[in-house]
Amino acid sequence: MDLSVNGPKVYLRFTALFEKFGNILGNPITQTTISILAVTLLLIIIAKLTTRRLTKRPGRFQVIAEKLVNMLYGLVEDTMGKHNLRFAPYIGTLFLTSIFSTLIGMTQLFRSATADLSVTLAWAIVTIIMVWYHNIKNFGFGTWLKGFTEPIVVMTPMNIVSEIATPVSMAFRHFGNVAGGSVLTALIYSALSALSYAVFSWLPDTIIAFLPPVFQAGIPAVLSIYFDLFSGFVQALVFSLLTMVYVGGACPPVEEIEAARAEKAAKKQAKKNKTKA
Amino acid sequence: MEWLAFQEKFESFVGVNLWTMLFAWVNLLILYLVLKKILFKPLKNMIDSRQKEVDDMYENAKAAEDSANELKKAYEEKIEKAEEESESILKSAMRKAQLREEEILKEADEKASRTLKRAEEEIELEKRRAINEVKDEVSEIAISIASAVIERDVSAKEHSAMIDDFIKNMGDGK
Repeated sequence: MDLSVNGPKVYLRFTALFEKFGNILGNPITQTTISILAVTLLLIIIAKLTTRRLTKRPGRFQVIAEKLVNMLYGLVEDTMGKHNLRFAPYIGTLFLTSIFSTLIGMTQLFRSATADLSVTLAWAIVTIIMVWYHNIKNFGFGTWLKGFTEPIVVMTPMNIVSEIATPVSMAFRHFGNVAGGSVLTALIYSALSALSYAVFSWLPDTIIAFLPPVFQAGIPAVLSIYFDLFSGFVQALVFSLLTMVYVGGACPPVEEIEAARAEKAAKKQAKKNKTKA
Repeated sequence: MEWLAFQEKFESFVGVNLWTMLFAWVNLLILYLVLKKILFKPLKNMIDSRQKEVDDMYENAKAAEDSANELKKAYEEKIEKAEEESESILKSAMRKAQLREEEILKEADEKASRTLKRAEEEIELEKRRAINEVKDEVSEIAISIASAVIERDVSAKEHSAMIDDFIKNMGDGK
């Protein structure tokens, strides 16, 4: 009995690049690539089916879809404010992609895409870039840079670290939960297999050769509800919520942005007057 | 470049693959654009338009109710006015009728009293005439009796004063 914990299987390898850069650039197509593609296609098909026949008097299916969309918009409004409702489609996409990427691992045909750090890191980088972009757009590049020296200059390194730690922690949290869940599931499977052979060791060898690991039936399913379904849902929600909170923080209401700009302009004017005097 | 589909080659469990990241980005972008266009926007639009429709309906219903209430109020006012009018008409008619009744009664009364008066007058006249007749007859009788008594002709002219006196004493005695 051997249990190995592996990353995604590699399907295509650029040998020359692999020799030079290793895993970072050497493997263009892996199990994760296939999973992401599958998730994309699946989601597009589901979306197409959902909105195939939209009517003013909705059917049961449309009611559910509308309820979910309403919940999404409500959540975005609660977390980011009414002025940031334009982010709702992205948040919804992120949530759906995340949860489907996790749950697609339960099919056993694909590996969970979120059990690959590259994927969650890519999403987290999108989030932090959105935060930076909106901070710079709303408050100006100088103000954004100056924000790192607050409240006091000594804090600058810490602020930079925390800024980098934000996407890294998001990525590792999501990845760790899903990958950890799959490792635990694998461990439980092998443990149950060992248990069933230990319990039935008194049988003759000819029967044991055909005996399935009977304890594997049932028990992993219950655990899977937590480690795959619940954890996948929670991680998708956490990732989306964190994205909402960070991006929402960078996009305050228009009045606040204008107030900040006015303050900045007033300071500049005061400085100018001082130098003149 | 080599295909490794059936060889057991794995990436490290915790590692970064830039190709995978690229795929993740591209797919996230595609999904964002596609889902926004075919899932979120249509559903949200549907929800909003239905919401608007329902709001409009409620507004219209409210307006209709208001106008109905207004109409009702106007009708009630009208009915009240009509009732008042009819009452006043009735009242004035009754008053008129009463006046007329009184008038008629008065007229009848007057007529009756007039008739009565005339009758009384006639009776009086008749009575007087009868009395006069009786007086004449009596005086004639008296004269004839007296002439018989005194055996001579009594001149009515000469003795009228005496006769009258006699009649008076006789007739007014009733």
